[in-house]
Amino acid sequence: MLQVRNLSKSFPGVRALDNVSLDVVAGSVHALMGENGAGKSTLMRIVSGLDTADAGEIRCSGRVVMIHQELMPFRDLTVAENIFMGQEPTRGIGGWLDKPAMHREAQRLLEHLGMTLSPTRPMRHLSVAQMQTVEIAKALSRRAELLIMDEPTSAISEHEVEALFKIIRDLKARGVAVIYISHKMDEIFRIADTVTVLRDGRHVATHPIGELDEAKLIALMVGRELSVGGPRSVEAAGEVALEARGLTKPGKFYDITFTLRRGEIVGLAGLMGAGRTDVANAIFGMTPADSGEIRVHGRPACIASPRDAIALGIGMVSEDRREFGLVPTMSVKHNLTLASLRGWLLDRRAENRIADEQIRAFAIKTPNRNQSVAHLSGGNQQKVVLAKTLLTEPTILILDEPTCGIDVGAKAEMHTFIRQLARDGKAVLLISSELPELLALSDRLLVMREGVLTAELDPRHATQEEILQHAMPDSGE
Amino acid sequence: MKRILVGQALRLPIIMVATGAVALQLLCGCGRPESGEKQITIGVTLMNLPNEFIVMIHQAMEAKAKELGVKLIVNDAQRSAERQVQQVESFIAQRVDAIILNPCEVEASSPAVDKALAAGIPIVNVNSETKSAPTAFVGSRDEESARIAMKLIATRLNGQGNVVMMHGFMGQAAQIKRDQGAREILAKNPGLKLLAEQTGEWDRAKAMSLMENWIQSLGPKINAVFAQNDEMAMGALLALEQAKMKDKVIVAGVDAISDALQAIKAGRLDATVFQDARGQGSGAVEVAVKIVKKQPYEKQVFIPFQLVTKENVGQYLKQ
Amino acid sequence: MKSRLGLVIALVVIGAALAVAKPVFLTVPNLINVVRQISINGILAVGVTYVLLTGGVDLSLGSMVALAGVVAASFAHPGEYPVFVPVLLGVLAGAACGGVNGFVVTKGRVAPFIVTLGMMAVARGLALVLSGGKPVSNLSAEFKWIGDGLVPILVLLVVAGASWVFLANLKLGRHLYAVGGNENAARASGINVDAVKLFAYTVCGALAGLAGVVLAARITSGQPNAGAGYELDAIAAVVIGGTSLSGGVGGVGGTILGALLMGVINNGLDLLNVSSYYQAIVKGIIIVGAVWLDRRKEKS
Repeated sequence: MLQVRNLSKSFPGVRALDNVSLDVVAGSVHALMGENGAGKSTLMRIVSGLDTADAGEIRCSGRVVMIHQELMPFRDLTVAENIFMGQEPTRGIGGWLDKPAMHREAQRLLEHLGMTLSPTRPMRHLSVAQMQTVEIAKALSRRAELLIMDEPTSAISEHEVEALFKIIRDLKARGVAVIYISHKMDEIFRIADTVTVLRDGRHVATHPIGELDEAKLIALMVGRELSVGGPRSVEAAGEVALEARGLTKPGKFYDITFTLRRGEIVGLAGLMGAGRTDVANAIFGMTPADSGEIRVHGRPACIASPRDAIALGIGMVSEDRREFGLVPTMSVKHNLTLASLRGWLLDRRAENRIADEQIRAFAIKTPNRNQSVAHLSGGNQQKVVLAKTLLTEPTILILDEPTCGIDVGAKAEMHTFIRQLARDGKAVLLISSELPELLALSDRLLVMREGVLTAELDPRHATQEEILQHAMPDSGE
Repeated sequence: MKRILVGQALRLPIIMVATGAVALQLLCGCGRPESGEKQITIGVTLMNLPNEFIVMIHQAMEAKAKELGVKLIVNDAQRSAERQVQQVESFIAQRVDAIILNPCEVEASSPAVDKALAAGIPIVNVNSETKSAPTAFVGSRDEESARIAMKLIATRLNGQGNVVMMHGFMGQAAQIKRDQGAREILAKNPGLKLLAEQTGEWDRAKAMSLMENWIQSLGPKINAVFAQNDEMAMGALLALEQAKMKDKVIVAGVDAISDALQAIKAGRLDATVFQDARGQGSGAVEVAVKIVKKQPYEKQVFIPFQLVTKENVGQYLKQ
Repeated sequence: MKSRLGLVIALVVIGAALAVAKPVFLTVPNLINVVRQISINGILAVGVTYVLLTGGVDLSLGSMVALAGVVAASFAHPGEYPVFVPVLLGVLAGAACGGVNGFVVTKGRVAPFIVTLGMMAVARGLALVLSGGKPVSNLSAEFKWIGDGLVPILVLLVVAGASWVFLANLKLGRHLYAVGGNENAARASGINVDAVKLFAYTVCGALAGLAGVVLAARITSGQPNAGAGYELDAIAAVVIGGTSLSGGVGGVGGTILGALLMGVINNGLDLLNVSSYYQAIVKGIIIVGAVWLDRRKEKS
């Protein structure tokens, strides 16, 4: 189906692809793995025609559709309109939109993917995870023969992933080739037939999945041994840093009450749409709650805007870094310092120094501090957002899907880093859809379902099934 | 993000104009109708109220209307012939007794005349002409104003010299007519050469910039400036004064606005042409009333222009 | 700050062509004329740069110029008030309009296009009401001095210089860029987005007021129908200069270059005595060409 030979591509300051060759067979799932910046996204953009290579050739015998890592939905249009963008079904002469047909077909595709979502809902009401599922529906509607999926499950919860895999297996049986890019090891081993590993723009190895195990795969990707995270903090948590009492916002969340202590990591689990991000936004002041109370370090706090929250020592890394995390027209340096500028005048030398420090501390891959932040890879952008938040010196930190779209190596670094944050005395609220991550990092684990807190679990003893049980709506038999 | 319709966007300016029109109506007050008769109503559409000259015409109309006990509905076409036609259509729908039209453009405002006549409502043109012939016309021949000004220039230059001409908005009735008049005089005086001409858009600031640029490119060659209105003449004057060239250049305009009259009195501006705005305004109302009352009237009333120079500026300043 | 090299090249090329066709172009008096002629548009353009940087727009510039001119002229008759009074009042009139614009945009959550379109009508109406429809003349010599000689150029330089310093060196300046680049991310970074926007619109109004004062001084009368269409010229200068209409990119340097380019073209067309009918066409072509050249240079 696809043959890539000696492909090379450079961007200003960086050689993204260096002489890469690859074969993908029809009716198979071919996983593409590698650390951030290894060249996976670049390679796929060239294969799907979005970008051109500097050298080499590609031969492809079928229609290629790519589902991107970074979603770009039309937020003001409906789900159905997004799915059929550019290929709307029409009726009669003049191209009248056949809306009933569009909605019917959209409904069918969504149900196929296990989503109970009305095709007439505006996209802006959807969470990141839901938008991603709609993207998949869109690609499926185009009847691709080669489907490229770049981190398709980065914000989807378990049972959607299984539904997705079922579809992928269906496609396989129909002779479609799927290139699957993901950092999630367990998924690769569940769904892939072949694995290709890229490192630093070069092709490292290609093996059938049966010949590999996790350790070998990581070793190929990283080129070195990796330790898994770090030991969980054994010390008892400190004083109460944040207390939420009866937080309510009708339609989003109800009567949310919990505490966060210094030095502890509290995990917040739940399906997409459960309201976790809404709670986080309420605490951070982006969309304050309608009723309820928040106390910071024992004193009642009025948080009407992120400005108030930051002043109280609360910081948040949002799940949607594109919308809320970064200013794409500004450089890495300016983005880093944006939330922590003091006084009236800018101090350029201090800014430069701080920017360099942060780039080093977080190992942000960028040619220099003045590079436009839009040119960085997803994972490095995430680092910038995190560094920016930490520069405001928060004592309370909310992390919403912090390892979304980050490769194995960086993810391990992030986990270690999060643990260190807690050890440094910060109170951390960790929202994640990756249950293993939550279980490994949290000191306490809260579960939300449809806007309500349903359980508090001890991660040392809880299982993934138990979490899901509290997270999933009653099946009502 | 709200979807904003263009129609919504225009709503506010339209409401402003409509409110302004209504407010003006209320401010004007109604004259007392003659005993027993229904009060005569005249619809008036003016070319552009933010224009000192038109303001004078308007004031004169109001005064005359009050004197005769006639009601005026006054609209401002804001230089748009299209809007003018709409306003006349509205007058027709309101069944006014007569319409007074101060045309924006010769061709484009003609449909207004046609429609009024077709509806059987008498229509009187004031100040400028349209292609279609109205029931009556009260105004001045714009060509005459330009002829008078150019004749002065020709006389002062003894028939020899270079002239530059500043036009109003290209295509407007006044610009076309004044251009015509100026060229007639130029043709009669072969010793006068038209060095350059350009539109100053009736605007003082634009005319000033234009004159500055002409001073650079033509310099001492310029002997006279004919500006088709006083605002532009004032702009040219300022530029010449700043360049210390005024004593060698003759500047003439048209309209006799107060700034120009002051400038003539001070010996800065050479001449302007007085257009009897008041005569036109009150004359138009008079004729319209005569037509409605089926009294004898003159189909064309030409109110003459008058040359204003330092010698006679005093009598115009009093007005 | 981007280099805007393409614009500079375009400016030099056009200037050179004009110098050959009409040597008088390069003389000091003419060049001073050019800069003075763009000074009013330049002040307006610098003002609206603030607004465009935040991703907004201001269509009421021309009307604010007229209103400020009328207000200032009304207090500038000989022997009445010291000259700083009309100047201050003119600037304040503009600032007040700008403040209203900013308030409705932020608190009322109405799109800037609509708000400033409304202000365009209201400010113009106010100018007409205050002046009775007639120009306000008879201005003192001290006031007229503001529009004379090199003074307008100096005003432009001060305004441009101060703005340049502000945008580059003040936290609030950085915030302007952030709000235009991504309003949500700016808010999440603790920036008071509403305050930043209000500031931008108010400064824009104040500078429009200043432009109105200079214009009234230059043409020696406060005219209620002055400035019609000025907003388009100002925004054109800013956009030509590289500031993006969606916000977050651009600056004062580009704005001045854009205004200069437009001024040089106007001056050149008048010097060459190109007919009025063709002037508009030629202007449009040259401007699009200059921008195209500039954007290409930026990409490479």
